[in-house]
Amino acid sequence: MAIVLETKDLTKKYGDVIAVDNVSLSVEKGGLFGLLGPNGSGKTTMIKMLTGQTRPTGGSATVLGLDVVQDPVGVRGHVGIIPEQETPPSFLTAMEYLRFVAAVRKIPDIEPKAEWWFDFLDFADKKNVLCKDLSRGTRQKLMFTQAFIHEPALALIDEPLINFDPIMQDVVKDYLAGYVKKGRTIFISTHILEVAEEICSGFAILHKGTLLYTGPVAELAGRNEHLPSFFLSLVRKDRHV
Amino acid sequence: MFELFTSMMKEEWRVHSTMFGSLSFALFPVMIFGIAFMGSFLIPLMQVTLPAGNLTLIVHANYLMLGIMVGGFGLLGNEVMNRRFGQASLLAYSARSLPLSEQFIFSNFVVKDTVYYFFLWVLPFGFGYIAASPFVGIPLARALLLLLTLTLSFLFGLCGVFFLSTVYARSRPALWSILLILGVGWGGLTTVTGTNPVLFFPPLLLNSAFTWANLFISCVVLALLFGVAIVLFNPESVGSEKMYKDSFTPLMRRLSFLPNPPFNAKDTLDLYRSGSLIGQTIFSFLLPLGVIWFFLALLGPFFPPHGLLFIFAITTGVIASTMYTWVTMFDTFGPYACLPVAVSTLIGSKITTFAILQVLPAIFIAAVAILSGEVVYLVPAVVLGISVSFYAVSVMAWLCGLSPNVLVYDVKVLFVYLVLVGIVLTVFTSVAFADPYFALSSVILAIPTWLLVQKAKVRWDAADPAGF
Ligand SMILES: Nc1ncnc2c1ncn2[C@@H]1O[C@H](COP(=O)(O)OP(=O)(O)OP(=O)(O)O)[C@@H](O)[C@H]1O
Ligand SMILES: [Mg+2]
Repeated sequence: MAIVLETKDLTKKYGDVIAVDNVSLSVEKGGLFGLLGPNGSGKTTMIKMLTGQTRPTGGSATVLGLDVVQDPVGVRGHVGIIPEQETPPSFLTAMEYLRFVAAVRKIPDIEPKAEWWFDFLDFADKKNVLCKDLSRGTRQKLMFTQAFIHEPALALIDEPLINFDPIMQDVVKDYLAGYVKKGRTIFISTHILEVAEEICSGFAILHKGTLLYTGPVAELAGRNEHLPSFFLSLVRKDRHV
Repeated sequence: MFELFTSMMKEEWRVHSTMFGSLSFALFPVMIFGIAFMGSFLIPLMQVTLPAGNLTLIVHANYLMLGIMVGGFGLLGNEVMNRRFGQASLLAYSARSLPLSEQFIFSNFVVKDTVYYFFLWVLPFGFGYIAASPFVGIPLARALLLLLTLTLSFLFGLCGVFFLSTVYARSRPALWSILLILGVGWGGLTTVTGTNPVLFFPPLLLNSAFTWANLFISCVVLALLFGVAIVLFNPESVGSEKMYKDSFTPLMRRLSFLPNPPFNAKDTLDLYRSGSLIGQTIFSFLLPLGVIWFFLALLGPFFPPHGLLFIFAITTGVIASTMYTWVTMFDTFGPYACLPVAVSTLIGSKITTFAILQVLPAIFIAAVAILSGEVVYLVPAVVLGISVSFYAVSVMAWLCGLSPNVLVYDVKVLFVYLVLVGIVLTVFTSVAFADPYFALSSVILAIPTWLLVQKAKVRWDAADPAGF
């Protein structure tokens, strides 16, 4: 199996805070890889480093064969990203924002693609509204769309479900599951463990910036263990060390 | 009640001090102090050519301008407030969840900003002058009076523009009416009395002859302007969830001759739809320049023939260079970070949008040249103003990347900026004074401008993209 994402001793320090500590991880092509961890464990920092939004202070990482420090723009050109916090630009409408993304990413034929997404995520009535006037969930729909509209080989998504209602969460989960069946890869950070168990094929657990565990979800099932209880016992044990 | 205010003060301090270190931020007023202290020793020298009254005039004009430039609080809708540091986490925003009125939060915010500007700019300058006064033989009482009148001058600019900008945010016709009344009154006063109304500017009157009555009246006027502005302030833009048809695509097509049309189209829509294009043009460009025109006019006799036009062209250039902050205030690098865009591309495209905006100063300088009957020097004046503007913006881009509003409070940044821009201003003022047509030589600034922009791109690509 080909490797789409690999880190070697990846480290990020913010002054005295070690947000990510010597993490070595590899993700195989095709499948949903879940990056799990409690609040502040370094998930967002990992995704930011992997997409060239911030520079590692140590170690290295390649994404789709490209070095994230040497060629961050190249990496971002080939992947799709949903950042944790960012929202679409205030003074463009939803439709205009997708046209903007299409122009920057050089996506041909944006109109029908955008229409498909408006229908699929059920926000066609908002497509001509300025982004600043959209609800939090609708903005998240738009961010979701911009990450997948060019059908990237790899998408890195940070807590994508957090602002969606239960119906939308189901729609999105199904979409993600279908997306990887076509041989593409998704790298998702989340602390909703039930969702991770349901849709992920591989996972890693971060705690205080260190990697506690990485392996396939199927392995747990083989040992008759559940991801949530496994996660909790591992993190609690680490907390007492 | 006072807690919100003190928390905001602390927050502002931390926002700046975490960005470039407490020391660097704390040194900022020290530097202003130093400039004023050393500048004071030049006073005896300058008085040889320039009567003392005129020097006072220039300094007051500068502080009035400073007030005008920072006073546009009324233009701060929620959007700019949210995006100011790329997050909605500042107290001015998050305090809305507390049982406090919007007006209360906002007035705290404005007072906090005013106090900060006061401590960063006005007070250190006044102290510098006071500290130097024994050495240059100025009585202490005069130095103290100057501190008072400079403060008033700054507050007049700030409150005046604060008032006008909240009127503008409420109703455009109301603003036009007020400006019209002011303009007619101003013009009438000039023609009837035959003197420049600037001489009736309260802080200047106070400075030449102090009276308690005058001070009292000044304070009442300031309080009125401020109070009315706070009452008029309205944080929500009216009529939300408007539908817009796609203007992005046609705009991008029209701009397709530029290197990065999608970015320029986005910048243009940001400026236009937020109301900033007109708002900023009035409050950050036309108004300060209009005021400075009246002040400079008083100094006309001390300049060589045609000197006034070129001084004005250069001033316009410096003010026009701040248009870079108009195009960088809507976004941090954050929203672009999910796209294949380098910081350098963004800097380049912001400068392109800035270049389009330079039509405004070009027209403005041309108009002034025509109105002042110096049409023959229209071309050199425009060339000088625009060259200076581009040069100053390249310095800004090199020093501050995409965050000029924030990084200007870094002492090192401000110092280098003042030196690099100051040298050029001095050189080309002298050149233009020597012979108006020599001003054309300022096109040579294109070379350092280009080099600085290249350096800016390399520098900010190598830096860790900041969150502000
Ligand atoms: N810009 C920054 N400056 C300083 N410290 C930071 C910065 N960003 C993150 N950190 C620190 O790095 C650590 C990891 O943060 P990160 O955002 O990666 O966690 P996370 O796993 O995404 O948490 P959450 O589940 O809450 O989103 C935290 O201790 C955080 O305080
Ligand atoms: Mg996170």
